[in-house]
Amino acid sequence: MSTVPILETRGLGRRFGALDAVSDVSFSVNQGEILGVIGPNGAGKSTFINLVTGHIKPTSGQVLIDGKDMTGQAPWNIARAGVARTFQIVKPFNGMTVRQNIAVGIMYESHGTNRLSVALEQAEAILEEVGLGGSGDRMPGELSTADIRRLEFAKALATKPRLLLLDEVMAGLRPTEIEPSLELIRKLKARGTTVIVVEHVMKAIVAVSDRVLVLAQGKVLMQGGPREVLADPRVIEVYLGHRYAKRQKGNA
Amino acid sequence: MLEVKKLSAGYGRIQVLWEIDLAVGENEIVALVGPNGSGKTTLLRAITGMIPVKSGSVDFLGESIKGQSIEEIVSRGIAHVPEGRRLFPGLTVRENLILGAWRTKETSVDHVVDLFPRLGERLNQIAGSMSGGEQQMCAIARGLMSKPNLIVIDELSLGLAPVVVDEIIQALPSIAESGTSILMVDQDVDAALTIAKNAYVLEAGHCVLSGKASDLLADPRVQESYLGVG
Amino acid sequence: MSTLKALKSVNGFKRTLLEGLLVLVVVAGAIFFKSTLPGGELRAVSTIFMFIALSQAWNIIGGFTGYASFGQVVFFGMGGYFTAAVMLHLHFSFWLALPLSGLFGAVFAVIIGQPLLKLKGHYFAIATLGVAEGMREVVINLPDITGGGAGISVPIAGTFAKTQYLGDGGFYLLFLALALFALAVGTVVSRNKFGYGLRAIHQNEDAAAAVGINTVRSKVMAYSLSAFITGMVGASYVFQQVTIFPERLFDVEITVLMIMMVVIGGSGTVVGPLLGALGLQFISEYLREHFTNMHTFILGGIIILAVILIPQGLVNYIREGRRTKNYSLLANIRRYRL
Repeated sequence: MSTVPILETRGLGRRFGALDAVSDVSFSVNQGEILGVIGPNGAGKSTFINLVTGHIKPTSGQVLIDGKDMTGQAPWNIARAGVARTFQIVKPFNGMTVRQNIAVGIMYESHGTNRLSVALEQAEAILEEVGLGGSGDRMPGELSTADIRRLEFAKALATKPRLLLLDEVMAGLRPTEIEPSLELIRKLKARGTTVIVVEHVMKAIVAVSDRVLVLAQGKVLMQGGPREVLADPRVIEVYLGHRYAKRQKGNA
Repeated sequence: MLEVKKLSAGYGRIQVLWEIDLAVGENEIVALVGPNGSGKTTLLRAITGMIPVKSGSVDFLGESIKGQSIEEIVSRGIAHVPEGRRLFPGLTVRENLILGAWRTKETSVDHVVDLFPRLGERLNQIAGSMSGGEQQMCAIARGLMSKPNLIVIDELSLGLAPVVVDEIIQALPSIAESGTSILMVDQDVDAALTIAKNAYVLEAGHCVLSGKASDLLADPRVQESYLGVG
Repeated sequence: MSTLKALKSVNGFKRTLLEGLLVLVVVAGAIFFKSTLPGGELRAVSTIFMFIALSQAWNIIGGFTGYASFGQVVFFGMGGYFTAAVMLHLHFSFWLALPLSGLFGAVFAVIIGQPLLKLKGHYFAIATLGVAEGMREVVINLPDITGGGAGISVPIAGTFAKTQYLGDGGFYLLFLALALFALAVGTVVSRNKFGYGLRAIHQNEDAAAAVGINTVRSKVMAYSLSAFITGMVGASYVFQQVTIFPERLFDVEITVLMIMMVVIGGSGTVVGPLLGALGLQFISEYLREHFTNMHTFILGGIIILAVILIPQGLVNYIREGRRTKNYSLLANIRRYRL
C-alpha cells in the first residue's frame, strides 16, 4: 500500500483580477478513498477541479500526483497520469456515436490500443458498466439527461483512471437515477479507483464519501467525516447564513 | 394576488420544477428558500415569463399569465429584480431608476428615495461605482419605479455584508404595506424567514415545506433540506 | 439495394480489399479515359483532379478538425514558388522539387500553426487569411528569388530544364496521382486514432484534452499535413502553367473554391469533398457552356440554395436522413437554424 497520496495540493490558488477564486487550498487524497467536496455556489468548486485537471493554470501553489509535481501541466498530461474528470455541463463529442465517444478515450489512454476497431470493441464493456449497453450506436443528441450523464461517466472511465473527479454528476437526477450512480462509484472504489465527488446533493455525499472537504469562498473551511461535517455550525453558517447558525446554536 | 398551482417547468428536455404550489397575498412578503440547484431562480423565471411553463397555472390578480410574454407580464404589474442585480453600470443612479419606470413614464424618484435615503445622496453617481449594497438598493428601487403590485427579488443578499443586508431588509415591510407585495429568494435564511409572512422551501425541484415563516424558522427540517441531515 | 447493404456491412480487412479493388478499377478507368480525350478536355479533367486533392487537404484541417483555414492558398502559393525558384535558380528536377515543396509548406504550417491554432473560430479564419495576403506581399518583394510582380517562369527548354515538360497527358496523370494520394490520406485519417482525435477536438476541445489528446500537437499536425498536400499541388500547378504571377498563385478564390467544395459536399467526410469537387466543376463547366452570359449568377444561386437548404453538406444530409428516416428539407433548416 503506497503511502504517497495519489493527489495532493499545497497552497493551491487561482486569482482572476482582484478575485481569489481559490486560495491556499491544501489537502490530500489517498489511493482508494472517496473524498466528497461540498460548498455553496461560488465557493470555487469548479475552479478547484479545473486547477487539478490542468484546464486552468494556478497562480500559486502546487498540484502533486503520486508525489510528482504536475503543477500547470496541460490537461492531456494530467489525463495520461491517470486522472480523469467529468464536466458539470456535459461535453459529449456530438457528431460521433456513443461508442465512438468512448473509443476516443480508449485510444488516447497511455497504454491503450492504437487501433480503432479494437477500441470500438473495448468500448462495449464500458457501456455495459455505466448502464448504456445497447446504446452504442446512438448519437449523444438523442440521449436522455440520465443517459448523457452516463456517457460523460463512460468517457472518463475510458481512460482507465486511477483518480476520477466527478463534477456534480447527480444534479437534476431523480432519486431513482441517483442510486445507480452511487452504485457505480462504490464499484469503482472496490476496484481501487480513487474518487473525488464534488456535489450539491448531500444525500449522495453522505452515502459514498469516506471524508468530506468543505470549500467556502475559495478556501478550505474544514475536513472530516460526512456526518460530522454536515452538523458542524461553520458549515451550517456558509449554507444558511450566519444568523441562522447562531440561532440554531442558541436553540441547541 | 399571485397564485401558482402545480407548476412544472424546465429548460428544454431537462425538467427542473415539479408541481409547485405557491401564493403571495396583498401587502405580503413571501420568502422562497432552499439549497443551490433546487430551482428557486427557475421558479421566479417561470412566474415572470422568462421561461415557458410546461404545466400548471400561474394566476395574477385573478387572471392567468401563464405563457404570456415578459412585456405583458410586466405591464400587469410584476417587477423582477434578477440575481446579480443587472444594473446599467455606466449610467447614473437616477438614469437607472428612470429606466425602471419606462412603462409608466414616471420621472419622479421621490418615493423610492424615501425608502432608500442612501440612494438619494447618490442620484448622480455612476451606478457601477457604488458598493454592492448600494447597487442592490438601486436594483430594488428601479423595480419599484413602475409601482408594481408584485416585486420579485432573486438573491437579495448575495455577496453583501450582513449590516447592509439588514438595512435593505428593514425597508421591505414598508414596501409591502404600501401596496407592493414581495416574493424574495435569499441565501440568508434567517433574514428571509424573519421578515417574511409565509415561506416555501424548495429542494431538488419540489416544494418540501411551506407555512408561516416564523414556524419554519424554528423547524429543523429546513436545515435538513440544505444539509441532508439534521 | 440489398447488394449495397451487403457490401456496406463487410468490415475490416475484407472491406479494405474491396475498396482497394474499387480504386484500381476507377484508376484504370481514368487512365483509359485519358486516351479518349482531346487536349482541352484533358486539362479540364486535370483541374478537377487538382481540386479533388485541394479539397481533401482542406478537409483535414477545416472539416475534421473544425479550424476553417481561410488562407489555405498560402501553402499552394508557397509550394508553387518554391518549385519555381529551385527549378530556375538551382536547376532542380521537378521530381525533386515536388516533395520538397510539400515539405516546405508543411514546415511553414508548423511554424505559423503554433500561434495561429491557439485562436478560435473566426479569429483563426481571419488570421490565416492575413498570413496568405502577407506572404503574397513577401513574394512580390523578393524579386531576386521570385521574380516579384513580374512573375517567374519555370525552365522547360534549354540546358537548365532538368525535367521534360509533361504535356497535357502527363499532367493529367500527375494530378490524378495527387488526387489519389490526397484521397488515400483522407481515408486513412478518417479511420484512425489521429483522425478520431481531430474530430474530438472539433466537437469539444476541452473534453478532447481531458481524455488525453494533446490538442496542440494534433492541430499542428493536421494543419501541416494539409499544407504538405496543398504545397505539392501548388508545385504541380506551377510546372503546368510554366509562367506564374503572385496574384494568381495566392488568389483567395482558390481557397474559396476549396471551401465550397468541402462544405457543399459534406465537411468532415471523405466522399463529401470528392463529390463537391466533381459536382461544382461539372456544374460550373456545364453552365459556362450553355449559359455563357449568366453562368456565374446561376452558379452563385445554386451555391446559396445549397448552403441554406443543406448547410451540413450533401453527404452528411444523406447520412442523417438515413439515420433519422427524415429527409424533410424544412426540418433540416429548423435543425440547423441558419
